[in-house]
Amino acid sequence: MKDKLHKALIDATHNVFELMFNISEISDHPTEDFECDDEVDIAIGIVGDLEGEVIYRFPISTSLNMVKIMSGMEFEEVDAFVTSAISEIANIISGNVATALSDSDIKCDILPPMQLELNENKEYEIETSRCISTTIGDICLDVRLNKAF
Amino acid sequence: MLWKDKYELGVPVIDAQHKELFRRVESFLQALRSEVSWDEKIPKINETLEFMKGYVVEHFHDEEEYQRSINYPGYQAHKQIHDGMVNYVLEVSKQYDQSNNNEDLMQQFGGRLMAWLINHVAAEDQRIADYAIEKGVRGNER
Ligand SMILES: [Fe+2]
Ligand SMILES: [Fe+2]
Repeated sequence: MKDKLHKALIDATHNVFELMFNISEISDHPTEDFECDDEVDIAIGIVGDLEGEVIYRFPISTSLNMVKIMSGMEFEEVDAFVTSAISEIANIISGNVATALSDSDIKCDILPPMQLELNENKEYEIETSRCISTTIGDICLDVRLNKAF
Repeated sequence: MLWKDKYELGVPVIDAQHKELFRRVESFLQALRSEVSWDEKIPKINETLEFMKGYVVEHFHDEEEYQRSINYPGYQAHKQIHDGMVNYVLEVSKQYDQSNNNEDLMQQFGGRLMAWLINHVAAEDQRIADYAIEKGVRGNER
């Protein structure tokens, strides 16, 4: 289950980065303590066979690079426009993950992106962090899920 | 430039519309992101927003007609995605009017619209083109 989920997440991120940012080389590794100066955190709630959330942690420089590539315009800081564009990217990746999982008979739906405060004390069956490195910066994906079956 | 040649799908009738759509979205984004104060840019934003909205509806309609003309099997699902976006655009426009031109609302809208549109063209619309090319009906322009 955990492996399937990881594969789906990494594949979806890879596809979206290739399609939208023309970046085909990404690598990933587990991470205990993802660190960056400052970041945009987007949580995508998951409901269905798996319940919980995936938190996409985009460092500010990664976020600005993504928006620059998409728009062809300059961005100096993370504002409502940037946060919203990045949230949509997290939403697109998650949608692709849900589709991939449904092909292996795990039925999940995703909830609209949120910038949310997390309940750090809650216990999850599946709890992992993965750092994805790309030529426009790193991203960290935190997965916190319970099986609902 | 918002438009990139790699978004070209290989179906001339759709590609031409996508270029026009991206031109209009780009005008809107340029108005939205210009360096002047919010109050100063509102007229230009409202003008480019209306100009862009009209074409979103027109393009979605034409693209759906095209899908029907080539018997594209994903027509229903694709139409649902288009309808979802049109509803979002109408809903935000309504809130924008009611809020007396709220800036954050429009900035959020612009960011989401841009990312959504690029992915939609590169992923969903590409599937229509792949089908048309595979079936050899690419030149079938209604
Ligand atoms: Fe289209
Ligand atoms: Fe479309």
